[in-house]
Amino acid sequence: MYRDISVNLVDVSKKIGTRYLFTGINLVINAGQCLAITGPNGSGKSTLLKIIAGLNQPTTGAIQIISNNKQLDAEERRGSLGLISPEIILYADLTGYENILFFTRLCGIECNQQMIEEYCRRVGLANDKEQLVRTYSTGMRQRLKFALMLAIQPGLWLLDEPSSNLDADGKKLIAQMIGRGLEQNATIIIATNEPWEAEHADYKIELV
Amino acid sequence: MPITRLSLFNRIWAIMMKDGICEFRTRYAVSALLMFALISLASISMAIGAARLPEDLTAALLWILLFFCAMAGLSRVFVQEQESGTILALQIYGSGQAVLFGKLLFNTFMLLTLTVLIIPLFIVFLNIEIYHWSIFLLVLILGDIGIAAASTVTAAMVAKTQGKHALFTVMTFPILLPQFLSSISTTAKILMNVKPDVSDIMFMAAYNVVLMIASSILFDYLWYD
Repeated sequence: MYRDISVNLVDVSKKIGTRYLFTGINLVINAGQCLAITGPNGSGKSTLLKIIAGLNQPTTGAIQIISNNKQLDAEERRGSLGLISPEIILYADLTGYENILFFTRLCGIECNQQMIEEYCRRVGLANDKEQLVRTYSTGMRQRLKFALMLAIQPGLWLLDEPSSNLDADGKKLIAQMIGRGLEQNATIIIATNEPWEAEHADYKIELV
Repeated sequence: MPITRLSLFNRIWAIMMKDGICEFRTRYAVSALLMFALISLASISMAIGAARLPEDLTAALLWILLFFCAMAGLSRVFVQEQESGTILALQIYGSGQAVLFGKLLFNTFMLLTLTVLIIPLFIVFLNIEIYHWSIFLLVLILGDIGIAAASTVTAAMVAKTQGKHALFTVMTFPILLPQFLSSISTTAKILMNVKPDVSDIMFMAAYNVVLMIASSILFDYLWYD
């Protein structure tokens, strides 16, 4: 089971230049629940995810990440979430295996070789894990990010266009992973324009 | 699967090893540091010919050489992460203190390695004699740690700015100035066959500690805000 994390959005708004991307978002997402954020390009989906991740500040309002009735500080918040986004770039000069080993250690998690091989196998990278990431296709890089998510086991999953660049098999795999994550109590927030990705959602926010 | 939690030291070590492996495979920073050092040494050697420089000038030349070598290569620890886009993943998954001290260790290792390579050449090219080797090595180590500590935190500060390379040197120099002057005067004493005072060495060590504590406090603001 994943760590029990709930996300509380309190009157969140974001203004860029003179334009408000979104205003007055109030929502509580509990462990095992899924929120889908939809909207056209430039509507602020990725910005809202970054605000939840603590990488960007809201113009007004606050984000509370709560675990076991305790609000997490900035460092604890980063330690409790996993972010899959086109803006997340893994190390091109490390192999897939080395990337997972590095990031898990950075999170303070000791993963042995068997565990990493198992995560790579689950996302279909069993035969490519020893290749440098610079030789990976964009779809393989996306799969590697999911292998990393499996290895880190964060309580809060932030997924920005998770199926982008994936083939049909990859999309099926991601759908299974999201379903399994929710069963195991992960809190999942997806920014997407794919209707099938939003199918898992308990709540939806449509940005305009 | 069960999760084993690692200590802060393991995380710091992971950062240092990652930087080491990436550097070994690309050799960007090593090449910049080495080429700068060799070209500067050759230029100095050709400029002065067979003349023997005064000891205080020789000491100043040594530390100016080390300082500008550091400026040529040590900012890469953060600038490279920013330029390649990997900084976001590092920010999401890495704690501020682990990243700072991992990068600091890597920069210290790089600068010490460079020092080991250029000191014999410096001695040969400038025809100098070292009288107190153990103290000289201690001064080099403390001076290198100071340069690495100052340049690591300023590299983090300038990584997202425009004109980062010029800004890096301009910001590092004043932070490092007390340590820099102390390194030059202590090295000059050694070259003059005068044993430096314990207070000189203590000042250098204390300045490094203050630099690291200040960097540690400042870095969390840079990393999380």
